Amino acid sequence: MTIEAARERAGIIREIREFFDALGHLEVDTPVLSPQLIPESNITPFRSDLLSPYGPSTELYLAPSPEIWMKRLVARGSGSIYQIAKCFRNGEQIGRHHNPEFTMLEWYTLGAGYLEQIEVCERLVARLSESRARPIEGVSVPFARLTMEEAFRSYAGVELSELQELAALERAADRLGVLPAERAGEETWESLFNRMFLALVEPSLPRERPLALLDYPARLPSLSRPIAGTPWTERWELYIGGVEVANCYTEETASERVRAFAHGEERRIAERGKPVATDPGFPELFPAGFPRFSGVALGVDRLVMLLTGAEEIGGVIFFPVSDRVLRNSSTGSSSRARITKE
Amino acid sequence: MIKAGSIDKGTFLLFKGDPYLVTEREFVNPGKGSAFCRLKLKNLRTGQVLRETMKTQDNAEEIAVEEKDVQYLFTDGEGYHFMYTDTYEQFEIPVAGFEEKRYFMREGETFRVVMWESQPLDIKIPYKMVFTVTQAEDAIKGDTVTGATKNVVLETGLTVRVPIFIKQGEKIMINTESKEYVERVNG
Repeated sequence: MTIEAARERAGIIREIREFFDALGHLEVDTPVLSPQLIPESNITPFRSDLLSPYGPSTELYLAPSPEIWMKRLVARGSGSIYQIAKCFRNGEQIGRHHNPEFTMLEWYTLGAGYLEQIEVCERLVARLSESRARPIEGVSVPFARLTMEEAFRSYAGVELSELQELAALERAADRLGVLPAERAGEETWESLFNRMFLALVEPSLPRERPLALLDYPARLPSLSRPIAGTPWTERWELYIGGVEVANCYTEETASERVRAFAHGEERRIAERGKPVATDPGFPELFPAGFPRFSGVALGVDRLVMLLTGAEEIGGVIFFPVSDRVLRNSSTGSSSRARITKE
Repeated sequence: MIKAGSIDKGTFLLFKGDPYLVTEREFVNPGKGSAFCRLKLKNLRTGQVLRETMKTQDNAEEIAVEEKDVQYLFTDGEGYHFMYTDTYEQFEIPVAGFEEKRYFMREGETFRVVMWESQPLDIKIPYKMVFTVTQAEDAIKGDTVTGATKNVVLETGLTVRVPIFIKQGEKIMINTESKEYVERVNG
């Protein structure tokens, strides 16, 4: 990142703060070092040890997102809050849009559901893009809105609501040529869904303007609230220029559903032999009848890339961890570790 | 067999009966989901480009390749013509999909060719190569701004941005991957 780009990034972050301050959200600053995490089987955290001169050491994790802390604050009665936090994810590709350490804007709004958050996000993006010296292609409001059901109908030619059974989805994936023969009968619903989504749907999503892809299948494990009487949940992801920029849920607070999610994820984590300390009290965080609220996590580095026209994440952050850094590291091995992750 | 998660840029695969070179690889985790990789593959028989999405646990067929020394002869626009330095036998590699390589190949030079089952698949271009500048404008007198650059054309037709002090007839080192100027070479 050049000093000029750093100046632009600082300006964008300052405007994000002004925006949420004016919206009446309290800025919070929660720990990066966390003794417990929300169980998420597809995230590999960085681990470290807190050394004690008196007794055994304690394992701590670098937070992959500030969610666990921020939800505790919401449960404690903080009201609407936001944070611009450093987050850490291990075992992921280092590349054009990925650095193991990145900046996330996360906010929770009391009394608002996921659809209202699209409008909040639109107002934020509108404000940030208006402040740029020149208009940015593909970053305009209002966002396009498309449900997952419509997207599968348009780009994969299937009715996703009729493919809720594993066998039905597998037949469709096989017919569409996205399931390798040797994997027949071996895949979960989530995995088959992702194969179809990535091969057929995501590459075809419209890119002329930002897109809120709405109403994800309830069969995908997440902490978003189901839409009663449908196979969908109150969740969207924001794509700008084909890149995933933000994720939003109307947050699930019912303890039995949060517990079911946590147990499922803990089981998957254990199956992969990755010990992670999860918070046993997490499912009981919110008392029955807790007001409806929703949360958005937005990748700040990716947004700055889009707003400034940077081609690589290294153009908007200082000292990115690059393959070259890893290869030349004097302490590390000279061979680049190959990461294979389930 | 190779796991899709271990495929990298530069891996050679046998896919649907044809040899392919992986030219791009990106990992994606859709919506906090499990890891997939997106590949851009070049069919080394037809030059066609294919995009493929695979789960990192999926199997792919890696092919064992060997390398041989060859001399570059010429191009007729459709193919690059080479000769094996040991047998003097000639062969052709289609230009399609390899258009950029013409900027780095001079007639008569020796290169390494990647072979699979006695078929030539790909030409290896050294990471850094030296070329003569054939067209360069003189620096504007009095222009002493540090970091000033200009465009020059190399003997192979490649246009590169270089510091303003580079003159016609001089030799410069080029990074063949980024097509960027590295340094001036004396003599």
